[in-house]
Amino acid sequence: MNREEIIEKLKEIAEFTVQDPSILAKMDETADLTADLGLSSVGILYIVIAIEEMFHIRMDDVSFGEFKTVGDVADYIEKKLGK
Amino acid sequence: MFEKYTDPQTYAKIVDWPNVTAMWRNSVKTYGENLAIEDGTSSMTYAELDARAAKIRGALKEQGIGRGDRVGLFATNGCTFVCAYLAIVTAGAVAALLPPQLDGMTVFGVSRMFGLKLLLVEDALKAKLPAELPVKVLDAAAEGEPEKAIEVEPAEPCVIMFTGGTTGRSKGALLSNRAVMTGTKYGCYGIREIFEQRYFLVLPLTHVFGLIRNLMAALYTGSALHICKNNKDMFREIAVFRPTVWVVVPALAEMALNLSRQFKRNMLGEDMKTIICGAAAVAPYLVREYHKMGIDLFPGYGLTESANLVSGNPDNLNRPESVGLPFPGQELKLVNGELWLKGPNMMDGYVGNPQENEAAYEDGWFKTGDLARFDEDGFLYITGRIKEIIVLSNGENISPAEVEARFNVLETVQDSLVYAENDALVLEVVPRNAVLLAMGKEDPTAFLREQLNEVNRTLPGFERVSKIIIRDTDFKRSPSMKILRNQK
Repeated sequence: MNREEIIEKLKEIAEFTVQDPSILAKMDETADLTADLGLSSVGILYIVIAIEEMFHIRMDDVSFGEFKTVGDVADYIEKKLGK
Repeated sequence: MFEKYTDPQTYAKIVDWPNVTAMWRNSVKTYGENLAIEDGTSSMTYAELDARAAKIRGALKEQGIGRGDRVGLFATNGCTFVCAYLAIVTAGAVAALLPPQLDGMTVFGVSRMFGLKLLLVEDALKAKLPAELPVKVLDAAAEGEPEKAIEVEPAEPCVIMFTGGTTGRSKGALLSNRAVMTGTKYGCYGIREIFEQRYFLVLPLTHVFGLIRNLMAALYTGSALHICKNNKDMFREIAVFRPTVWVVVPALAEMALNLSRQFKRNMLGEDMKTIICGAAAVAPYLVREYHKMGIDLFPGYGLTESANLVSGNPDNLNRPESVGLPFPGQELKLVNGELWLKGPNMMDGYVGNPQENEAAYEDGWFKTGDLARFDEDGFLYITGRIKEIIVLSNGENISPAEVEARFNVLETVQDSLVYAENDALVLEVVPRNAVLLAMGKEDPTAFLREQLNEVNRTLPGFERVSKIIIRDTDFKRSPSMKILRNQK
């Protein structure tokens, strides 16, 4: 899975947590998880569970709070997938 | 009134117990070999849990703890928590349940305010606490010679539970054995199959919904309780444990629904039949969508001060907007639209807080601060809140003043206001421009935003704001210069 595909899948996940379509449309690698996406604590939990399910990885070695942007999340997933 | 919603034989088994010990003895006698609790690391039958609690009672006795003494419990969700809680209350002592996210100084202050004689503490949390607190770490050393449980009078105190406060400070609600057992019994009403179920716990055991409706109702009914220690693992654990009942806040119920849609399968498993949903407003949408999946979602309404549930809605499909029928034995009345309560489930007041007690009661009635109405059939509807406390759909109670105080520490912040918007916290800030500009930063607003983000990152997850607005005007204020919260 290449980086573009990872970002696309993250967008699919975000569709269920980010309510405002305009935010979703401009979601890219630089989007700030707190300031731009406005994720609540349950929204973050959703994303972690969905990432584990979608990419078949375990995020036991990281706290989601350590990620600042969508790109940071993609970096982590790439690393986990052995890229 | 609830009889028609339950199988008659099952209904006959929902009886009064005068104290937790009496209920527990019956459960051990009736369901001794049933699985009682498991948390992924440990699992115990009712008989095994009873034996473990007896040893902890022995250790409490060695520490000089007796009937009516107050013992703090500072631990995360798990079998260890349940063993310690059960040991304290069946020893006739009072368990003060301290949320594990509290910092050491808060625990210190609360210990003084509640008059705690001892703190039972999970090993991993001990480092947070000041050395002068009387602490016993919950490990093998916390077990002594098995000591018998004792039965106390129904009016004797059982637990102290944390709750959000109207004045910006958290309070401790004192619940008697009668209140805890009445609240537990109420939790058994309105559901067809309630005994010997498989419960799944994700709520904090220091929250009344987790303690009473989840743990206590499970133990009352001879059910098994799986304690999920990390919510991100909940669906993996559900697939293995195959629960039949889930007690949950609306936000998590909605999350499970969305995940089921995203991954095109029922994430709660085929055995799940009942969701008890409360601690925040339940969207009728959830009732209807879960019904399509063959799961009954029952909305309810309750408070910490009422030992959890005041009402439950067995007619969920016809009246999904309602929080249901009041459980029997209570008195409810509306005063200027506000719901007032009396009943055997009500607390005995806030511990060490005469000011809050004075404000909370009138003529012996507890004033909930919630606006409500009844329909022609006696079903209750909650229409709003008088109090300022923000309750998010995940059930978290946020005191805005507490969060604002953290940002107001910055000298670049003149004043701030926290409120909820679309179920997330928003912070609005009026900068102290003179200070900010004097700093000579190239982009003062960006600098302030980064400062605010830094403070935000230090807050506990449930108090973190999702949106920050830097205002170019002051807030609307009262003549005494207080911010008018409803007129931003």
